[in-house]
Amino acid sequence: MAESLVAGHRSTGNGEADVVPRYTIPGRAPSDVRDDDVGIALPTGAQALLEAEYENMLACVRCGLCLTSCPTYVLTGNENEGPRGRIALARALTEGRIPLTDELLTHEDNCLACDACTDVCPAGVRMEPIQVAFRAAVEPAVRRPVWVRALRTVVFDWLFPSMPRFRFLVWLVWIYQVSGLRTVLRATGALRLIGMSDADALLPPFVPHFLISSGQTYPPEGDRSDRVETVDLFAGCVMSTALAAIDHATVRVLQRSGCAVSCPSGQGCCGALHAHSGDRAGAVSLARSTIASFEVGGDRPVIVNSAGCGAMLKEYGHFLADDLDWASRAKRFSARVMDASEFLATRTLPVMHPIGAGSVRVTYQDACHLSHAQKITSQPRDLLRSIPGLELTEMAERSLCCGSAGVYNVTHPETARELGSRKAESIIATGAEVVVTANPGCYLQLRARLRATGSKTEVRHIMELLDAASSPVVAR
Amino acid sequence: MTMLRTDVVTRVSRATRVAIATDLRRLVTTGDVLDAGTDLEVYGYDASFLTQLKPVVPDVAVIARSEADVIAVMRYANEHRIPVTPRGAASGCGGGCVALRGGIVLALNAMNRVIEIDGPNGQVICEPGVVHARLNELVAPDGLIFPPDPGSSRMATVGGMASTNAHGVRAVKYGPTSSWVLGLTVVLPNGDVIETGSVGSRAKQSAAGLELTKLFVGAEGTLGVITRLRLKLLPRPKARAMVFAVFDVLERAGEAVQAVYRSGISPSAIEILDSRSLRAANLYRPDLGLREAEALLLFEVDGNPAGVRWDAEQIAETVRPLAVEVDWSDQEPRIAKLWEARSVVGAAVGALRPGSTRAYAGEDICVPLSRIPETLRGIQELSVKYDVPVATYGHIGGGSLHPAVLVNGRDPDDVRRVIALTDAIHHLALDLGGTVTGEHGVGAARAPYMTREHGAALETMRQIKRALDPHGIMNPATIFPEDVPPTPALDASLVTGGM
Ligand SMILES: Cc1cc2nc3c(=O)[nH]c(=O)nc-3n(C[C@H](O)[C@H](O)[C@H](O)COP(=O)(O)OP(=O)(O)OC[C@H]3O[C@@H](n4cnc5c(N)ncnc54)[C@H](O)[C@@H]3O)c2cc1C
Ligand code: SF4
Ligand code: SF4
Repeated sequence: MAESLVAGHRSTGNGEADVVPRYTIPGRAPSDVRDDDVGIALPTGAQALLEAEYENMLACVRCGLCLTSCPTYVLTGNENEGPRGRIALARALTEGRIPLTDELLTHEDNCLACDACTDVCPAGVRMEPIQVAFRAAVEPAVRRPVWVRALRTVVFDWLFPSMPRFRFLVWLVWIYQVSGLRTVLRATGALRLIGMSDADALLPPFVPHFLISSGQTYPPEGDRSDRVETVDLFAGCVMSTALAAIDHATVRVLQRSGCAVSCPSGQGCCGALHAHSGDRAGAVSLARSTIASFEVGGDRPVIVNSAGCGAMLKEYGHFLADDLDWASRAKRFSARVMDASEFLATRTLPVMHPIGAGSVRVTYQDACHLSHAQKITSQPRDLLRSIPGLELTEMAERSLCCGSAGVYNVTHPETARELGSRKAESIIATGAEVVVTANPGCYLQLRARLRATGSKTEVRHIMELLDAASSPVVAR
Repeated sequence: MTMLRTDVVTRVSRATRVAIATDLRRLVTTGDVLDAGTDLEVYGYDASFLTQLKPVVPDVAVIARSEADVIAVMRYANEHRIPVTPRGAASGCGGGCVALRGGIVLALNAMNRVIEIDGPNGQVICEPGVVHARLNELVAPDGLIFPPDPGSSRMATVGGMASTNAHGVRAVKYGPTSSWVLGLTVVLPNGDVIETGSVGSRAKQSAAGLELTKLFVGAEGTLGVITRLRLKLLPRPKARAMVFAVFDVLERAGEAVQAVYRSGISPSAIEILDSRSLRAANLYRPDLGLREAEALLLFEVDGNPAGVRWDAEQIAETVRPLAVEVDWSDQEPRIAKLWEARSVVGAAVGALRPGSTRAYAGEDICVPLSRIPETLRGIQELSVKYDVPVATYGHIGGGSLHPAVLVNGRDPDDVRRVIALTDAIHHLALDLGGTVTGEHGVGAARAPYMTREHGAALETMRQIKRALDPHGIMNPATIFPEDVPPTPALDASLVTGGM
């Protein structure tokens, strides 16, 4: 006979008798069918991927502390759309207790991987690796329309792994913007017709000179000869092309802080988008080539100005932990990675000038992948405060995701729009003239959402502001 | 991989489930009805160990968004005799919000509007799903505070707090949630709606009639569903200070608490961390740098700035002869850091044995103040006897202790020992003149002890329950032992296999 904690109750052995509810609905014959929710079988290899994160899932004690930090839970009130639920679903799936259903896939897929839950969890559960493992595990079983599959192949296998191709695409986008085609499509409502109006709103504003990493080194500037340090720049795919102005600004700020900035050749995309979209093979291959291209730099810091990429680069150690040939190289690389503001906080900064005529009111938006994933919140604020005449104000719900989350604003436009508008409202309520962020995704999302409300608030990357404030040529 | 047998919980047939869900979709106008198998998984647990190893899923879950939804669900369920289990944030520790007898889980977390902050009358009217911390953020600009403050402030809903009569660290001065509930709107099991605490009243006190408000507070959803609360607020204290004292003899910590009370001071909180808790907190967050000794006591005083400094000095003087280290501070960052040390302990216990997690089982006893040292020693002895690490902390000012046990859920033998240890801790508390639950509530996990704890009074509770809920549909697997089914999750013999 089984022992039961519920003293005074002895399990009947098969345990069923006492548990069967005794109600039926009159007029409808209860059938003998037992719970028969059908689901998709787990693809081969899925079990092993999930089990690698099983310990992580088990650490959840279900206290519920993470619920109110989770954007999708806050919007829906559905526990399936909260961190505790997502962990429970992944765990039950790993244990083989529930099948893989469409509902389950959707709930996991709706996760922004913003790590707001990870940030508050007292038990040390980490959501991002669970999502990466889950998505890779189920990807072969996910039914996608043929054109989506094709598009994924083009984007993940063809576009991102090659910087020349990526640069070519950004040029095409630029041509789309300047040729008048966009104006025509917008004016005729054609974009809305093909469901691309949200995606269009997210396009970057201009195409300046790309930063092409070919092994060049930018020398330190100013009188910092006492503390010259060489750093490697991770230029990023979007940052070095569509938002290259930010990369150039970053280089200048580093130079003025006494750094020689080296741009190792062979680098490209970090693979975060692949990892979050279930393309593990693609992510692994990009991770390996990134690690290899930076090994020329020995142990010097790898500086990154995109929070999303930074989080991924710091995660390589964990991501490749089971990869015999790469585990130690990945760990060594990850240990070198620093966000630009994290690094600058350790340096003597160049002299800063005011960026406006009078005082400028600025609010700082915490990128999830900086604040939650990398726990960097004070350094960017301290850097901003070092700019004379800059008045820093905080927005409401500052730790809530803006809805950008990698390509989430393209794949889940509705949720992303709702979160983005909520964020825009918080920003506008501060009365700030400029909102500062440290991530390309947030940058584009904030621009799109603020513009949609007709707000004049400018969006700037923190490096752009520091560049403007430390520029020696601007007469003030 | 070790897992539990899955064939134990038999649900009602799929056809019946679909029928219920279809009917409810028609009746519930603003909320959501969930019945897909995998969607119910996440409504099958709370923080309790009881449901940690294996969730017990309901047949249907309803996310209510209005009182009308709740009424519709109750009318329907009453007609068809379907069990209904109310659910807030599911931060409860006894399995009280889990449908152990099947039926409908009625989630109230999305009914989370604050309807009116009535500053001049010092009260707030709100829906049950409002989370405690948010309520306090919203009333803060009016210089007000809702004083009960559970450690679960950032998750617990006020509906859940009222239903479990939640206490918290400052209950020693401000009392439990029941002291702060002026009135409730309750949907009864048959779908009728009543308002307790005088209809439409904004009075802060009343002596009119039977105290129905207090009947529903702490009823853990067994008598009806709370859909609206009228809560009392207090002007926010201007200042606070904290005294911390380190002891190398456990008994002296107990004496120190008594000595402070004798000196005529009523601290707003008195917390204890035992040696294992201090160890765990340091392992988890080395930067806290806590001195490891037999016990650490934290005394908080609040009020006006001059008063709190005087109180703190007095307390420090009073406990100095008993302690090996005493200090006090009225600096917010310092106080916040000490509170943080206290708040991480619950989860930090996991750090004591890698691969294990903290289990909420036997975690909420309360004993007479005079028996605290004895209880702490007793728990330590049981920990050795059952070979299960236990760290104890708690609101010592009220005698409320939280033994935090560690479990490796994949080791059947470990699970069995934790189950036995939990039972022993509960009996220890009762032997010493205490209770098995000081603040978390009975749920299903502690129902078996109710007969011993209440004797004939339990029958009176049953009569009240029957009068309000003749068909026994309202949260049937809670409080009353005979209604709690054997729970497969805690049946250690069911843990099988190995990974
Ligand atoms: C880390 C941690 C720390 C904690 N600290 C404390 C503490 O310091 N003090 C303390 O007292 N507790 C504490 N708790 C326990 C728990 O948070 C409280 O019991 C809390 O009040 C439960 O609220 P909930 O919204 O999570 O309710 P749930 O767990 O969802 O439900 C609890 C019970 O209330 C019933 N219920 C919920 N809402 C309603 C409603 N609207 N109408 C009718 N019945 C309802 C449910 O049926 C169930 O029986 C802690 C828990 C954790 C995990
Ligand atoms: S905070 Fe952590 S332990 Fe608590 S429910 Fe969320 S993931 Fe689980
Ligand atoms: S990562 Fe973000 S969206 Fe995903 S569960 Fe955690 S808080 Fe929610």
